[in-house]
Amino acid sequence: MLRPAEIGDEGCHATHEYGDSFSTMTISRRKFFRGAGAGAAAGALAAATPSQLVAQTPKAPKAAGLPPVWGEDFLYQWSPPENVKRDLTPGPNIIRLSNSSDITNREGTDYDALFKTMRAAGWTACEAASAGWLARTMPDSEITEMKKQLKANDVYFYNIHCAGNIIAPGSEAEQWQRHIIDAIHAADACGCKMVLTHTGSMYPGRDTAHPLNWSKEAWEKSVNALKNICKATAGSKILVGIEPVNTEAINNPWAMKRLREDVGDSRIVCGLDITNMVNAGVAFRMTELMNTTFELLNGMIGYIHAKDFVWDGMLPGLNWAMNGTGNMDYEVFLAHISRMPDPIMYVEFLSSAEEYQQAQRNIRAIAEKIGVRIHGTQQPQQA
Amino acid sequence: MKKQLLMLGIIFTATVAMAATPDFSGTWARDNANSDPVPNQMYWMTRVAPAAPRPAAGTVLGAAPGAAPAAARAAGGGQRAPQLTLLTIHQDAGTLHVIDPQSTIHEYTLVGDGSPHTKPMDTGIQNAVVTAKLQADSLVIETTEPFGGMPGNVAAKIKEVWSLSPDGKTLTITTTRDIPARHQEYKEVYTRTEAQPGTICSDGCIVRK
Repeated sequence: MLRPAEIGDEGCHATHEYGDSFSTMTISRRKFFRGAGAGAAAGALAAATPSQLVAQTPKAPKAAGLPPVWGEDFLYQWSPPENVKRDLTPGPNIIRLSNSSDITNREGTDYDALFKTMRAAGWTACEAASAGWLARTMPDSEITEMKKQLKANDVYFYNIHCAGNIIAPGSEAEQWQRHIIDAIHAADACGCKMVLTHTGSMYPGRDTAHPLNWSKEAWEKSVNALKNICKATAGSKILVGIEPVNTEAINNPWAMKRLREDVGDSRIVCGLDITNMVNAGVAFRMTELMNTTFELLNGMIGYIHAKDFVWDGMLPGLNWAMNGTGNMDYEVFLAHISRMPDPIMYVEFLSSAEEYQQAQRNIRAIAEKIGVRIHGTQQPQQA
Repeated sequence: MKKQLLMLGIIFTATVAMAATPDFSGTWARDNANSDPVPNQMYWMTRVAPAAPRPAAGTVLGAAPGAAPAAARAAGGGQRAPQLTLLTIHQDAGTLHVIDPQSTIHEYTLVGDGSPHTKPMDTGIQNAVVTAKLQADSLVIETTEPFGGMPGNVAAKIKEVWSLSPDGKTLTITTTRDIPARHQEYKEVYTRTEAQPGTICSDGCIVRK
């Protein structure tokens, strides 16, 4: 693909894009227009002044995808290369584990008992679900007691996990944006550092893929929704985590990074769930996807979801699997996470308390193997 | 004379050694009534019904690598009548060849000291370490491998103990599978048979002895 980036009197610089790589070359203006052909685009460019050309030319996005493995002339790039870089060097940070047994603000909650139960099961961080949390405003006295018990039991309350769809059709979008704004204020009130949401879907349900979720309209709606939220909460330090999800406009690390740039607010961070970004083409290239994601989103990851998956169907039937038993490279995953400041892993999407314990055993065993430290201890397995 | 005695001694010792270890050669039909269900060996799904068994590298039984799970085969085209589950085994002094129900050949080097051998897993990406030790009354196959055959998987340890009944007509394989999250143990019973692979199980899979 050839497009103008800058045209001066002596020639123009064009950017040649091929896959994931870019190179800049200088060609003469005459040659450029000949190369562009006699099409309308060339005509339009010829009619414009150089300064207008710069203004009209969109910034070239990098392709959202992993680089070729088997040569650029080979049709498929779905199988992994033989020698993937797997840096298992553990970072200095200790990972806290949390799970979907949320902290609650129900009246009369015994926070000491709640956090002791979490600790005893090996979970040293927790989050709240927004619908329940916002249903009742906690009195200051309860907030004080909750904070006291969090500290006493060394449990970290870090996030309000939000429901809703901030780009839903009609007036629902605004209602859900209001919900996120309320969650941010609630997080501020109780000393929680982050809220998590998605950019959503053009359908009412955010997890249902709408055909236009990857249109410019959906992108602009997503950006504007987040700008609204950030503007309404200006001055707050609460992070606004966005979880990239396959069914939504933001479904890969490149889009996540670009979203943050377009919203233009450093409070926008990634609530990273690698498995929610998996498509058939990368299902067996997870180590590379992780390496790329952690590199691209360095410094802008709020926390991490810990899941696993396998591909076991004729359609791209990716299904959730027990942590450490599927396509996720958990060694590389844990090594990356341990290099992040204050890392938190949220284990979710399992079916029973027993499965959460099993997941934790696998995660701790893999971490121990590569020297990554995990906060707290887990009770020994029952014989 | 001394040389002859030495040769006789060597032959005698070898014969005694051979006689002292079980010979699994033959064709074996799975006795479903006396066997435990084989748990899913490769995929551990957490939010959907588990798929049918699929073997890991060090595992003899189950579907062949890449074979569609039984449930998927039944649901899609090409439904088949149930067949006897047969194992065909050829054993010599140093090797055990096992042909599983999907005609996949598994080869084990039988080493008295149980020294490990590395073999690629079904995925072709990771390796399993296997030891197959023939003992006086059993064969013990131990395998250590990444659970799903992918990089960074949790380590799985599988131990199969093969033993023959005194009359040599029944083969019992007891398997234990351990990962940090779970311990599994199951038993499979096979009966010596003359049936050939592909035999239709028309009488409820009761093995005719």
